[in-house]
Amino acid sequence: MTATETRPGVKVMTMIEAISDALRTEMKNDDRVVVFGEDVGPKGGVFGATAGLHEEFGETRCFDTPLSECGIVGAGVGMAVYGMRPVAEIQFLDFIYPAFDQIVSEAAKMRYRSGGEYTCPMVIRSPYGGGIRGGHYHSQSSEAYFCHTPGLKVVIPSTPADAKGLLISSIRDEDPVMFLEPKKIYRHGKGEVPLGEHTVPLGRARIARAGTDVTLLAYGAMVPVCEAAADAAAEQGRSVEVVDLRTLVPLDEQTIVESVKKTGRCVVVYEAPKTCGYGAELAAILAEKCIEYLEGPVVRVAGFDTPFPYTLEHLYMPDEKRVLAGIDKTFAW
Amino acid sequence: MTDSQPNSTIRRDDALWLLRRMRLIRQTSERIAKLYPTDVMETPVHLCIGQEAVATGLCHHLRDEDKLFLGHRTHGPALAKGLPLEKLMAELYGRSTGCSHGYGGSMHLLDLEHGLPGSSAIVGGSIALGVGAGLAAELGAGHFVGVSYFGDAATNAGVFYESLNFAALRALPVLFVCEDNGFSNVMPKSEHSAHDIVGVASQMMPTASIDGTDVLAVNDAAGRAVSRARGGQGPQFLHCRTKRWMKHQGPERCDLIEVDIERDCPIHKLERFMASSGMVTPRELADLRSAIESEIDAAIEFAERSPRPDPNLMEA
Repeated sequence: MTATETRPGVKVMTMIEAISDALRTEMKNDDRVVVFGEDVGPKGGVFGATAGLHEEFGETRCFDTPLSECGIVGAGVGMAVYGMRPVAEIQFLDFIYPAFDQIVSEAAKMRYRSGGEYTCPMVIRSPYGGGIRGGHYHSQSSEAYFCHTPGLKVVIPSTPADAKGLLISSIRDEDPVMFLEPKKIYRHGKGEVPLGEHTVPLGRARIARAGTDVTLLAYGAMVPVCEAAADAAAEQGRSVEVVDLRTLVPLDEQTIVESVKKTGRCVVVYEAPKTCGYGAELAAILAEKCIEYLEGPVVRVAGFDTPFPYTLEHLYMPDEKRVLAGIDKTFAW
Repeated sequence: MTDSQPNSTIRRDDALWLLRRMRLIRQTSERIAKLYPTDVMETPVHLCIGQEAVATGLCHHLRDEDKLFLGHRTHGPALAKGLPLEKLMAELYGRSTGCSHGYGGSMHLLDLEHGLPGSSAIVGGSIALGVGAGLAAELGAGHFVGVSYFGDAATNAGVFYESLNFAALRALPVLFVCEDNGFSNVMPKSEHSAHDIVGVASQMMPTASIDGTDVLAVNDAAGRAVSRARGGQGPQFLHCRTKRWMKHQGPERCDLIEVDIERDCPIHKLERFMASSGMVTPRELADLRSAIESEIDAAIEFAERSPRPDPNLMEA
């Protein structure tokens, strides 16, 4: 690990190091935690999230699987139902669709259809999103499909410390969790991460930046984009609040509604295609819960309704400029 | 299942065709590997150095109208099938003159004129599409065969079985070509497949297993398989054992395998055969190499001066 220790009990790490640390911590804590997926064994995963785990914990705790996502997830469901804590890695979220049936039809419905007799405590970790010039099939943000499936939790960290704390909480959760990792910021910047035990509860948003004039709602790699936009807006005299959702399901409605009641304006920022993206749900919740507080329409700054564009990634991904234009729209009303 | 012997009676013209295509693929791949670190190509690249014989021997028997569906390791089979080099290069550079108009990249090469309906970055993702093309031909869409071209790791995906089963049940004009390089990224086949690919395939259809580093052997077996599929004898399976000299992705050599040029290099073996049977002189071989280098230079120049795609299409 290349992380450096700054003060006792804390290390400065990248997000990928924090994820690795979370897996190691939970594998030490709990023998039932088993990590598996394509190339996660001796290679340590294509991004290095499982680096060293095979060596440290052996073949029974961290192992490679064939290239068969459907089988990976299905086996995970069976393990979870019978007492294990599987953590499956799907190499890129773009590769998950062969497993969609197992996730939606088996994992998500296990608790409900057994009348609560069984739960399915498994985590599916997967890097998602653009920003590494990966083209169509290494860049997509398909979180909304999973949010639309009752029975799943959907977690997306935006800082190294949250990545660790949320992942440990996800592994300990009794329900299947889609743990989606914004690969664009795997190694962008470092942050302090508590060593050893560290959890962040699911369903609690984080005020990344406090402000009074407009609320930006974001998750994953869009959080730093919104923070940069908040800095730029401050120079124009606008006080911007940035809320990092952390978990899309369960959603911390209270925090976002309170923020928007306070500021009266809201821009939702996400990199998935705009239509039926998670931002649409957020806009609907705000309309239901606090429309009388809104000074203008909720604005969505999102990806475009196209397959992920290969050479045009820099135009597709919401950036500081587009977020600022979105903020302007809420003031122009 | 047959392990065919190289056809030593091959005509000079045919041997030259095979050599030229393999050299085009090899030298293009080597140039890509050289240029890639300079970041001029905005796309991941999966190179096929060492695997040239499979696609070349196969495509020697395919017509433009035959539909070849590819996976992520596309450059070799696409060039073998007839994709013009400058269109490949422009696509890798992300330019609008590329074969997919700069919207595809390395893993999504398209050339309808030469029977390249598309390729998928999802391993196993296009196997069923070749079956669909065969079904379309069977139902009257035209006289062509559908070809599904994939690697050994794709045989672990469920869609592989579904596709073979359906093609065999309906006796479709489909060719399944497994380019078995023995690795799924860094995992050797012994660790990713409990099944024997040839055993599985041969339960459902005629299957040949060939030394995929011997282009004459591939050429021979592919000729028979294509002609049977075209002739209404149902789907055929070609299993070609080959070696991936490079890493799964990117411009670096793979450190997991040993390469013995005498044993493993399809180009070296063909050149040796042609020289010893008096088909080519050393001078002709050198001329061929430098002619291809010039072709590559021209293709890069074409790519470099081509415009990028129009961003406004994104709003459509």
